[in-house]
Amino acid sequence: MSLWTMIVSMAEGLERTCAIFFLTLIFSLPLGMCVALLRMSKNKVVANATRFVISVLRGTPLMLQLLAVTYGPYYLFGIGVARNKLIPVVIAFAINYAAYFAEIYRGGIESIPLGQYEAANVLGYTKTQTFIRIILPQVVKRIMPSVTNEVVTLVKDTSLAFTVSYQEMFTIGKQIANSQTSFMPFVVAGVFYFVFNAIVDYGMGRIENRLDYYN
Amino acid sequence: MILEMKNIEKSFGDLEVLKDISFGVDRSEVVSIIGPSGSGKSTLLRCATFLETIDGGEISYMGEKAAHTDSNGRAVYVTPNELRHFRKYCGLVFQQFNLFPHYSILKNLTDAPIHVQGVSREEAEETAMDLLRKMGIEDKANAYPYQLSGGQQQRVAIARAMAMKPEILFFDEPTSALDPELTGEVLKVIRQLAEEKMTMVVVTHEMPFARAVSNRVIFMEGGVIVEQGDPRDVFGDPQEERTKQFLRVFER
Repeated sequence: MSLWTMIVSMAEGLERTCAIFFLTLIFSLPLGMCVALLRMSKNKVVANATRFVISVLRGTPLMLQLLAVTYGPYYLFGIGVARNKLIPVVIAFAINYAAYFAEIYRGGIESIPLGQYEAANVLGYTKTQTFIRIILPQVVKRIMPSVTNEVVTLVKDTSLAFTVSYQEMFTIGKQIANSQTSFMPFVVAGVFYFVFNAIVDYGMGRIENRLDYYN
Repeated sequence: MILEMKNIEKSFGDLEVLKDISFGVDRSEVVSIIGPSGSGKSTLLRCATFLETIDGGEISYMGEKAAHTDSNGRAVYVTPNELRHFRKYCGLVFQQFNLFPHYSILKNLTDAPIHVQGVSREEAEETAMDLLRKMGIEDKANAYPYQLSGGQQQRVAIARAMAMKPEILFFDEPTSALDPELTGEVLKVIRQLAEEKMTMVVVTHEMPFARAVSNRVIFMEGGVIVEQGDPRDVFGDPQEERTKQFLRVFER
């Protein structure tokens, strides 16, 4: 198999790699905010339950969670494994990343000085207005570096989908490597991830720059 | 009477911060509150502006009750929605300015009038520019708070509170976070507001300022009003031993 054929077959899997990446972000970024708000709930039961869920999600391997979401329903309820593996893969990724984003959001929200809330309160903003107009924009700026970190990790984590045989780029590369007894596919995969992340870095850098109009 | 606070009680845990304090403010009156730290001055302002809830007593603005003590001796407030109606009567200037760093100076002044009071953008911007002109910082309208000096930031904070057209403006040690050479420009602005008959309550450690600008001085200590009256009397001929002791520290 020529190097070029190898690259072309693996590139075909990139579409699915991108699907995992973008769908995970679309679901986990907002879901993380809900989790963060539950985690900061004044209701102790809710806050502690959320804390426990977060610690399970962060304390167990994503690979295990992928297997659990994909095959768990079959072993537990005898429900057939989803034909389109993208669904369980994205569910597992979104939930896992939401846990990480939730903690980043919480850190950001708790870092905003109390005086900002008080100033908004005295000016008559409602709680919702205060959060949306005053707190959240400042949180977004503060957490951008940590979010970039997670997004970069996510690019590489998409390769974990091979554990449930979802035909994304790395899974295809691994199959080629096995059939051709060649290490080349892994080199190609490495280059793909590196370029993907260079683009992510550039994009996130642009967003950070746009938020750089104040200190 | 714009503000009337009666028999205010407030504790943080076991610590009684306000012990049965009563005081009122008439229209166009400028009241200075002085006293050592921990005397309850700031807490009193924070109760008046609804940042803290009182444990007992009564708070009224323009004759309307915002909080009163029920038959069980506990303070009850009007609903949160009704409370927002009371907030529009009062403005507060913080020691630490608390400007919104992500908004331009102009937006700091217009955002609440537009989104809280429903004022049109044109009107809000006109009011804001008038205020900035009065504060001598109209050229900073498009700057961001971090680009301003502390004195300028505090003047913006005063303008932001004024943009809501409050009946009464509270100042919580407005110059305590400023370098000495910057306090003057802020005090000048407050003095200017006093000349325009703005009703104000100022917690301050600037004794010459309190003496020159206010119609009434209140000396607080240990959660009670020890002495109050015309600044000439309180500063010139204090009646209480504690007031004399406190003021002696400032005579140098």
